[in-house]
Amino acid sequence: MSGCWHCGDALPADPPQARVAGVSHAVCCHGCRAVAEWIGELGLADYYRLRSGPAGRTPDLAESAKSAAAFLRPELARHLVRPRADGNSEAIVLVEGMRCAACTWLIERTLGQLPGVAEVGVNAGAQRARVVYDGNAVSLAGIVNALARVGYRTLPLDGAALEDTRKRETRDAQKRLAVAGFGAMQAMMYASALWFGAFDGIDVATRDLFRWLTLLAATPVVLYSAWPFFVGAKRLLAARQLGMDVPVALAVALIYAGSVVEVVTGGPDVWFESVSMFVFFLCVGRYLEMRARHRAGDLSDALARLTPLFADRIEADGSLLRVGAVELVPGDRVLVADGGSIPADGVLESAECRVDEALLCGESAPITRRRGESLCAGSTLVGTPATLRVTRVGSDTVVAGIVALTERAASTRPRLAREGERAAASFVARVLVLSVCTAIGWALVDPARAFAATVAVLVIACPCAFALAAPAAITRALAALTGRGVLVVRPDALEDLAFATHVLFDKTGTLTEPWIARDRTQIRGDLDRDAALALAAALAQGSRHSLAHAFAAAAPATLPAVTSRESVAGFGVSGLIEGRRYRLGRADYALGRDAPPSGLDDAVVLAGDDGVIAAFHVEERLQRRARVAVDALAHDGLSCEIASGDARAKVATVAAALGIETFVARQTPADKLARLASLRAGGARVVVVGDGVNDAPMLAGADVAVAVSSAADVAQATSDIVITGQLDALHYARALARQMLSILRQNRRWALGYNLAAIPLAALGFVPPWLAVIGMSASSLAVVLNALRIGRAKGADAAPERATVAPEAILRPRASA
Amino acid sequence: MNSLVFLIPLSILIIVGAGIALFWAINHGQFDDMETPGLLPMVDAEQAPADVKGDPKASS
Repeated sequence: MSGCWHCGDALPADPPQARVAGVSHAVCCHGCRAVAEWIGELGLADYYRLRSGPAGRTPDLAESAKSAAAFLRPELARHLVRPRADGNSEAIVLVEGMRCAACTWLIERTLGQLPGVAEVGVNAGAQRARVVYDGNAVSLAGIVNALARVGYRTLPLDGAALEDTRKRETRDAQKRLAVAGFGAMQAMMYASALWFGAFDGIDVATRDLFRWLTLLAATPVVLYSAWPFFVGAKRLLAARQLGMDVPVALAVALIYAGSVVEVVTGGPDVWFESVSMFVFFLCVGRYLEMRARHRAGDLSDALARLTPLFADRIEADGSLLRVGAVELVPGDRVLVADGGSIPADGVLESAECRVDEALLCGESAPITRRRGESLCAGSTLVGTPATLRVTRVGSDTVVAGIVALTERAASTRPRLAREGERAAASFVARVLVLSVCTAIGWALVDPARAFAATVAVLVIACPCAFALAAPAAITRALAALTGRGVLVVRPDALEDLAFATHVLFDKTGTLTEPWIARDRTQIRGDLDRDAALALAAALAQGSRHSLAHAFAAAAPATLPAVTSRESVAGFGVSGLIEGRRYRLGRADYALGRDAPPSGLDDAVVLAGDDGVIAAFHVEERLQRRARVAVDALAHDGLSCEIASGDARAKVATVAAALGIETFVARQTPADKLARLASLRAGGARVVVVGDGVNDAPMLAGADVAVAVSSAADVAQATSDIVITGQLDALHYARALARQMLSILRQNRRWALGYNLAAIPLAALGFVPPWLAVIGMSASSLAVVLNALRIGRAKGADAAPERATVAPEAILRPRASA
Repeated sequence: MNSLVFLIPLSILIIVGAGIALFWAINHGQFDDMETPGLLPMVDAEQAPADVKGDPKASS
């Protein structure tokens, strides 16, 4: 087997061996060995047989042990642990790196084996585990630590209240859907007896019996399943608005009431089965929509990961105490370790430090801050540890402000989908008017037939096909897109995507990826270039940093073995190779604390104990299919722009390489949002493609927000569409969205045409019951079958399979001094 | 006609029974997570025999 047995990373030349269930397996590092052997000791080695993908990277055990004490602090526990009525405690943890069924199994087993754990519920979709435990026998820290030992990074969530509302909403919707389904089935079954009766003759007593039965079946559907529509209609009318709920509620109430009158008076027709089916289809649509909304909500918990959970507070006597970040108050002094995240906004008290604010402002290089300058929560410290005095906490911090900006922008999002609903609503409103006209007309001609004809119009025009048209088309389109690596978080976005006129790209991480320039590598020692790259790639192996991939791509295939690898976030990595210690990273890290030689400030340096071995220069190159994606979009008549936080020269180079004429550089999140607003003010419909947190406000304000797979979690949370494959999938998504819309239009036209043809006949009293029902069913069926064509026709697959851009398309900023 | 006297109440009983069972299941969280349990049964079924030939002393 190639690769580490536990995590699947490339193996060093002389890999450590993990003994699990009596068999030795090669693993990439001692962290993985410890995890694998511990899983074996727990008797859970079957995990390796059952899983469908390699495990995530092993977390740092020492760090999680250090935090254990802080979990016991009541101030923090109050936020994370909820006491239950039966004396147990309940906590929800976000588990990173849950990848397949075997992970779910492993987590359930591991926690289930802990003494004191009463109940474990793992939700793979939302990546959470809910644990109910006896607080006297085991602590939250123990649970987090148990998961760390089997290789999962976890984060306790403060979302218990949210979980409850969502659970109630889900269960409520499921019950209403179930009742509608059962009721509609029964009503249909009893009604078929009536239809056959209409052909073959049926005596009045039997007919009336079946009518009462359909009434019995339809009553819970109307009074229970359709109840939210009545409530919604009442709320809309109270607010003097006319939404979809109003005509729906009116139609349901009228058809039901009319049928009841027919049953009681022994009139010619009842329509209980129609009204039941209608409510059922509506419930299905609402339920699907609710699930999509909840899934989007799961993603937004990613915000919790941005700021650290703990802080090291400096007490009055100068000692350090690890406390929850929620406990900090302005005026506290906090020590942030090398590579640590800053827990709250504050003022620097140390002489100088360097911080990486890439997540907040898009600036790719760390910034130097001096005593008295302010630091933002969520940014990463690079360099020496620093002391800061807290000035703002919680919702007052800059990062919380960005999040709030994001939320505000999200709430003002234009929603084209509402127009579709409004069209259906106005259609139904017209049907209602027509019914009234029918009623008046028949009242003048033959009052005895007035009610029957009126209700016949309502049934024939029962907007089943209308209600189904949008959900059927959208569901089918989503399924087709998921298969192509495009995840649609907000289904309405497809409608917006089809009508988009502008595409606004972020640069770093979206259009470009980091890249090690082989020919600009400076060799200072006696090794050749390949050997130096191999050393660097071996050290970087397993790191999450995007540069690790760049080194792996540049280095030769076989790498030397690394032992005792240590990594310092924001700095670099070090490790022993063939008994010698090497360091890779920023110059001041690689060379120790001595003054770095000039000229290497912006390079990644590989150094041994006797000085610099090589200096690598990081450049950007275009994502493999960026050019194809931009060309395809431009070919469709969309104008593409770049808005980046990076330096002007770099942005200009990328724009030129992609043939994009309009670009803006050095943008803050607010600038980007302003740029977006000005485009939108000009009537443009804008697709924003981005990745970082600094894009989040812009993504939230966009007509369509697209995040690429490497995107920071927050950006994914704000986005409507997440692309997990290559960038040109965006063009495919747009083509599919257009196909979906055209089929949606066909379906609506069909529904309208059918209604226009059938309603006059119904109004004149020419439509017998069996024909009305067959017509209604066939109309609905035609809509669903037509929707299934989405994603099959050749038209949607128009994404050009042109050659990918060659790797030579490296971007060089103009001579950086 | 006589069969109806028997079959119709039966169908109503069955549907009411199914409804009660479904409500019970929903209230007890059986439908809260529609994805994870779908992955688990096969895993659990294979687990039982595997445990025996695996590492017997480690499993408590």
